[in-house]
Amino acid sequence: MTSATLPAATAATAAKPSVLRPGRILLYVVLTVGAILMITPFVWMLLTAFKSNLEIAKFSWLPSELRWRNFVEAMQTAPFLTYFRNSLFIAVGETLFTLAVCTTAGYALAKLPLRGGKALLNYFIVLLLVPFQIILVPLFLIVKSIPLFGGNNILGQGGIGWLNSWWGLIIPLGAAPLFTFLARQFYVSLPDQLAQAARVDGLGEFGIFWRIMTPLIKPALITIAVFQIEAAWNGFLWPLMITTSDDMRPLQLGLAIFSQNPAEIQWPYLMAGTALATLPMIVLFVFAQKRFVEGMANVGIKG
Amino acid sequence: MSTTLERPAVATPRKVAPSKDSRALVRGQARAGWALLTPALLHSGVFIVIPVIAVLVLSLTDYSFGDTWAWVGFGNYADLFRDVDFLASLWHTVLYAIVVIPISMAISLAVAIGLNQKIRGLGFFRTAYYIPTVTATVAVATIWLWIYNPGSGLANGFLSLFGFAPNRWLADPATALPSLMVVGIWQGLGTKIIIYLAALQGVSRDLIESAQLDGAGRWQRFANVTWPAIGPVQFFVLITSIVGTFQVFDLVYVMTQGGPGSETRVLVMDIYQNAFQDLKLGYASAETVIMMIVIAAFIAVGRLLQKADAND
Repeated sequence: MTSATLPAATAATAAKPSVLRPGRILLYVVLTVGAILMITPFVWMLLTAFKSNLEIAKFSWLPSELRWRNFVEAMQTAPFLTYFRNSLFIAVGETLFTLAVCTTAGYALAKLPLRGGKALLNYFIVLLLVPFQIILVPLFLIVKSIPLFGGNNILGQGGIGWLNSWWGLIIPLGAAPLFTFLARQFYVSLPDQLAQAARVDGLGEFGIFWRIMTPLIKPALITIAVFQIEAAWNGFLWPLMITTSDDMRPLQLGLAIFSQNPAEIQWPYLMAGTALATLPMIVLFVFAQKRFVEGMANVGIKG
Repeated sequence: MSTTLERPAVATPRKVAPSKDSRALVRGQARAGWALLTPALLHSGVFIVIPVIAVLVLSLTDYSFGDTWAWVGFGNYADLFRDVDFLASLWHTVLYAIVVIPISMAISLAVAIGLNQKIRGLGFFRTAYYIPTVTATVAVATIWLWIYNPGSGLANGFLSLFGFAPNRWLADPATALPSLMVVGIWQGLGTKIIIYLAALQGVSRDLIESAQLDGAGRWQRFANVTWPAIGPVQFFVLITSIVGTFQVFDLVYVMTQGGPGSETRVLVMDIYQNAFQDLKLGYASAETVIMMIVIAAFIAVGRLLQKADAND
């Protein structure tokens, strides 16, 4: 009995001797210190959000009491709730728009016999490389000149087009070629026989797309949705360019405006607002972590 | 759905259909394809292709929102190289890229190698390193604005523990840009770590093990097996980093507005101000074109470096 257990025990320890090696301990220490450096700013943000104005005059870690009312007062100082609603609206709108446009295009590129299909795919891949900052100026002009919106005539002159509108906030930045490409990659992996079988059963092409193929790439839809929500929620420059009223402005823009007056910044309020802007994405990330990371890694490798 | 799923085996023989029908079928599929593709084509045409062409055209004009505008040829470009603000912002952006990219790539690769060992708590570490990346740059910038606060910020508070004198960070011309760089590096690690980690997991175990059998040490295995294997991913990370650092804007807008003086003025900030505050759209477009050229040059250099590395 003892003679049988002893070798087993040594084998077990031999299988992972690394646990006790100094190199291993050093690795954990370094990784942990790094992780703390990554998280500390957020912890400090939260701690500050609970402090009183008096308390933040000097450097300190913990608040003497948790002033929950900072959050309420921050809402009253700046229209953070309106900003929050606007961000939500933009994120949902952009995501639905992206899903609709990019899955259809991705499916067509992957599964339907289009003349010049390869060239079309290359077209989207090339566009994927165009950074938004490059087209900043003309994009503004185009959005301003959308015909028959915002007082514009049929030639797009005379009014403000989509400036200061939900259309302008949502449509131009939705449906990025990246997502068409991603959707296409996922559709390609589905077997053609599925569509063939449905055709034999008399289902039309749109039915095959909508009822057979798209339900099978749900993981991809979630990946695309999470990416797009994150991009929309975190957007700043575009709303800064095209909105002028608080009614339309998203959270990030609200934060930036709030932090622009150094003399009057109320740090606890600002940190409360920042927490409001930050937490939804962190929660989303923690829940969608695996998928998000896989998606990110795939984008990287395929690029 | 369940009925169709059972059919594939039956469907195969039916493929031998009369050619007239199958041609009609293909035509129907193509029609559906174009219908499904049209929204994306329209959208990308209007909001990407036309703007790209327009920026090239606008850069040759003095357009400024008014009804009258004129061709100025390369006049904008000539003016740009006499424009102190532009030259400063170009220099700061290039400097930012040159400092931030290598440092963040090196740290990311090191962390990814660490996380690629058999360790516990991988999910925790991954989340910790990735959170700054999923957080909006404006929020990140706001938090760091508070950290760099000279009076009661974390940065000075931390340094005072070790007896260092307080620093003015963003307000001091000497430390303003480096302070921004720190935030840029800190925020950008997550994405790179994830991509490196995925690449490292794709490196052939067989190769590593056979190198080990041949007596290759840890460093030799890294230099001869791992490093070449992740070459293409290195290049991808490099390109996305170049494009990313040249786009830096939110950080600067919130933290310094380009100041003190114009010590932290960057290209996108200069473009934004020229276009939307001074309303010089043609001029700002020319600036954009130059930014494109500089990015392309950086990528070309990166490509050369990668080729040189691969030929070693």
